[in-house]
Amino acid sequence: MTAAEIAQQSVYRGAWIIFMLANICVPIISLLIWRTALANGAQLPVDERYITTYFVLLGFVTMATSSWMAAFLANDIRLGKLSSWMVRPASLLVKFVANNLSEKFLKVFALVPMIGIVWWIFRDSMNLPADAGRWALFAISIVLGAVLVFTIDILIAALAFWMDDVGALVQARVIIASVLSGAVVPLALMPSWSRGFVDHQPFRYTVSFPVEIVAGQLTGRDLLAGLGIQLGYVVVLGALARLVWAAGIRAYSAVGA
Amino acid sequence: MNTHAEERTSLDRNRLHMHWRHVRLWRRFFAQAVVRETQYRAHFLTTLLVGLVQLGLGIVPTLLLFGFTAEVHGWSRAEVIALVGVYQIVTGLIATFVAPNLNRMTTYLTEGELDSVLLRPVSSQFYLTLRWINVAELTNVASGLVVLVIGLVQSDLRPGFGQVVQGVVLVGCGLVLLTAVWSAMSFLAFWLQSVNPIGVVFLSMVEAGRYPLAFFPGVVRTFLTFAFPVAFATTFPVRALAGDLSWGPVALGLGLAVVAMTLVRLVWRRGLLTYSSASS
Repeated sequence: MTAAEIAQQSVYRGAWIIFMLANICVPIISLLIWRTALANGAQLPVDERYITTYFVLLGFVTMATSSWMAAFLANDIRLGKLSSWMVRPASLLVKFVANNLSEKFLKVFALVPMIGIVWWIFRDSMNLPADAGRWALFAISIVLGAVLVFTIDILIAALAFWMDDVGALVQARVIIASVLSGAVVPLALMPSWSRGFVDHQPFRYTVSFPVEIVAGQLTGRDLLAGLGIQLGYVVVLGALARLVWAAGIRAYSAVGA
Repeated sequence: MNTHAEERTSLDRNRLHMHWRHVRLWRRFFAQAVVRETQYRAHFLTTLLVGLVQLGLGIVPTLLLFGFTAEVHGWSRAEVIALVGVYQIVTGLIATFVAPNLNRMTTYLTEGELDSVLLRPVSSQFYLTLRWINVAELTNVASGLVVLVIGLVQSDLRPGFGQVVQGVVLVGCGLVLLTAVWSAMSFLAFWLQSVNPIGVVFLSMVEAGRYPLAFFPGVVRTFLTFAFPVAFATTFPVRALAGDLSWGPVALGLGLAVVAMTLVRLVWRRGLLTYSSASS
């Protein structure tokens, strides 16, 4: 299924390149702003190298962990397309997993060269850990983050079993997540009174945490604790999503059936 | 026997009359959009709420930034808040009057809808760029005005009449320039078939307008002034309101706006030549 999706999506090669251009626009704007602030003498809790590495990698991680299916899945539920999947030997969700993986596979080809260019421009002020262990953790954490975002999307879309229009909720999720995940401002710059909340809420583990592994000064203990919490969220939200989905399927009365 | 080639009186007596006809037509579009909106009250409410949340979270980076420093390159926190207000007004106006149209560009071209547009006795470029209006987005213009006033009050700026005129003219230029850039990008659809993602790129580049021009390195400043002229939409108007802008940039903005409109007109004409309907 993933292979079929890749073949289908690669028709829109040009579109992917343009989409990825949009993806790195905002991180670059933020990068320039914060570097200016630093050069202007702002007293940030992190240094220039952290900021630079953070924003250069940000575009990649947000892409790699993103999910865009909530609205589509909700539509399939509302319009009764789910019915035809219920008699097939695979869940409708499998289709969305295939779509997610295939689009990301193609996006990587468009995005990596762009990130490479930005990387090269700022090569002098990048923080790059030498040991391969960190990069392995980075990869693991991205996979966990992607699963986490996907699960959150299932939870929101599954509300369509009971509600008519989840469009507003989907939009709200996107906006709130963009701030709480660290996609707009590095969470390290959040004010100290919000620390306890910011560091432990699930959205941190969808974007910020993987980036922090490479860019940040996380100690060995922070790393283990972070990965533990991330895994915990994946398991808990995954179980919850399973329950909600199963309950939804039972409550489902197809349109047109 | 009558033929289609027989002489008819022109719809318009002169150019002025033609422009006036388009203005009247646009007023009809607007009235229709308002009526349409009253049918979708939930949409209105959602747009309002999402807009407010977006505005609130959009200020977060600015507030955080000024938590670490009192001023950046001569800009105080209050002035940047005023700038965010102007940004919100401009993006609100674009979302109301321009975005609903340019987002349809791909459909117009690939599904041959353009055929029926070309047959109408109106400027097809006018029709394609301004036909649809999303009234609900005007709420963002209103919230932008509120933020602008808050910013101005906090920064103790009392702009005089001339400065307000400068600011309004500059915002107008900025709107025309940004619309021109987006239109030109969309008209590439004549050659590229699908241009939906271009709207996404445009909107993410406009994000640069959230911050004063001075926050960017030199090269980027030039780019944001002349190539992607978001500076005219936000930075220059606020500097005009602060009273430290001469009439030079205003003239420059007007000049650029005229040049940009002419260029877009040319791209449109060129593109139309390559158009060969989707169905025939």
